[in-house]
Amino acid sequence: MKKLVEISLGIVTSVGGFLEVGSMATAAQAGATFGFRLIWAILLGTICIIFLVEMAGRFASVSGHTIVDAIRERFGFNAFLWPLFATLLVNFMVMSAEIGGVAIAAEFATGIGFQWWALPVAFLTWLLLWKGTFGFIEKGVAILGLVTLCFVVAAVMLKPDWKAVAAGAIPSLPEHDGANYWFMAVSILGASISPYLFTFYSSGAIEDHWNKTYLGTNRAIAGLGMTFGGTISVGVLIVAALVLGAHGINQVNDYHQLPLLLIPTFGFWGFVLFIASLAIACFGAALEIGLQQAYLVAQGFGWTWGEDLKPREDPAFCGIYTLSLLLAAIPITLGLDPLKLTIFSMAVTAASLPLTVVPFLFLLNDERYVGEHRNGMISNAAVIFIIALGFVLAVVTIPLQIFGGS
Amino acid sequence: MDLLRDLLDKQVVDRKQVKIGKVDGLVAELRPDKPPRIVAIELGAITLARRLGARPGRWMAWLAARLGGERHAEPHRIAWKKVRDIDVDIKVDIDVRRTAIFDWQDWLRDHVIGRIPGA
Repeated sequence: MKKLVEISLGIVTSVGGFLEVGSMATAAQAGATFGFRLIWAILLGTICIIFLVEMAGRFASVSGHTIVDAIRERFGFNAFLWPLFATLLVNFMVMSAEIGGVAIAAEFATGIGFQWWALPVAFLTWLLLWKGTFGFIEKGVAILGLVTLCFVVAAVMLKPDWKAVAAGAIPSLPEHDGANYWFMAVSILGASISPYLFTFYSSGAIEDHWNKTYLGTNRAIAGLGMTFGGTISVGVLIVAALVLGAHGINQVNDYHQLPLLLIPTFGFWGFVLFIASLAIACFGAALEIGLQQAYLVAQGFGWTWGEDLKPREDPAFCGIYTLSLLLAAIPITLGLDPLKLTIFSMAVTAASLPLTVVPFLFLLNDERYVGEHRNGMISNAAVIFIIALGFVLAVVTIPLQIFGGS
Repeated sequence: MDLLRDLLDKQVVDRKQVKIGKVDGLVAELRPDKPPRIVAIELGAITLARRLGARPGRWMAWLAARLGGERHAEPHRIAWKKVRDIDVDIKVDIDVRRTAIFDWQDWLRDHVIGRIPGA
């Protein structure tokens, strides 16, 4: 029974981590421009992240190390600096985009321009990290995050042509805007396979004192939780394809087009639900990335870390998330368009994947860490596939950004 | 034991289980007609900077001495005989509060973090 509660909580939590401004914006854009045709990218991304999250959880449960910790230990300090700086930079952009997402939701709710909301949002995020414990943040965000299920409800109520939806699950070549199509596909993959997700998950496993008895729990949470998150993303895409298309919008280039998504289904409450979904999903992600920045540095350098400690006990850890949040609020305060930043940072995330995923191949096959629980054939094939995908994405992102970015 | 594999870059915890840093460097003593012997582990920014190259090492040593005074002009060393256990973490029989290792964190706590309400 206790395990069952743990699993369901874990699933809900991973939805909170999965669905953020990136997956919402990329799914909405893809739906508006290409109908159901990019559903395959969400499916592919979801399958990849299931494998990586499962491995991160298994690694932490068996070895007692977080992924970041182990990268430093296994590959040495000099090699560690590459993923460290790449991830810090990518996280900075994504966190800024998440703050922008909450700020946009606040703009919809109040009519006051989004740039005024960036600092208050960053402050509120900081306050929760400062006062909250890991469990409180994890569970609170998770339960509120269930509001995003309204996209799945809306998708079903709009009665899509399910045959066309299923056809979208199979990759196909676009009839128009080839470069834009592939750029969207890359951004969706970046939004789904976020490095912060699996590095955060492995820190969470340590914070929650997981051990070998949690391997089954871990597998269930990784599989079901990410599937759940992927389903909501597909819901956003379906709703965007049906609603925005019907209103003649086939290019989402402004956040102001998005509240329309839920209005045909839920009327005025659709507007409210959209604001709540956007705000909560992005706020949750901002919290997790804030923590992740602090985990990354503290674990990399071996300082005391832990969200359950008081700030006095781990001043460096708290100092890092304080500084990260403050810095991430600056671009939005200066009026940088949150949507452009989101799409751009998702593509950069995809490009940074090889640096964070290659270590999995070594760590999860190293008996000194994972013993008999090391990767089997299928997991290794998945990692190799993700690395190959990551390299392709890293090479194509910049040209696609120039020719296909909107 | 493979020093680079099993020792370098591992987490170090003190006798109160406080995470005090990683094994950033190893100090070996060369002995005539005998194999070298590990006499200490090193922690801190100077050691890390030296791993990147001689010049970053000199810059970091200069910076550390400027900011922290004489106590910080050299890397922090923990004698090998203080090492108690090598497992997931490396346990050392010292109390971090009696060393200079966390001086900068203490400074951060006293001057910045501790002044924010709720810390």
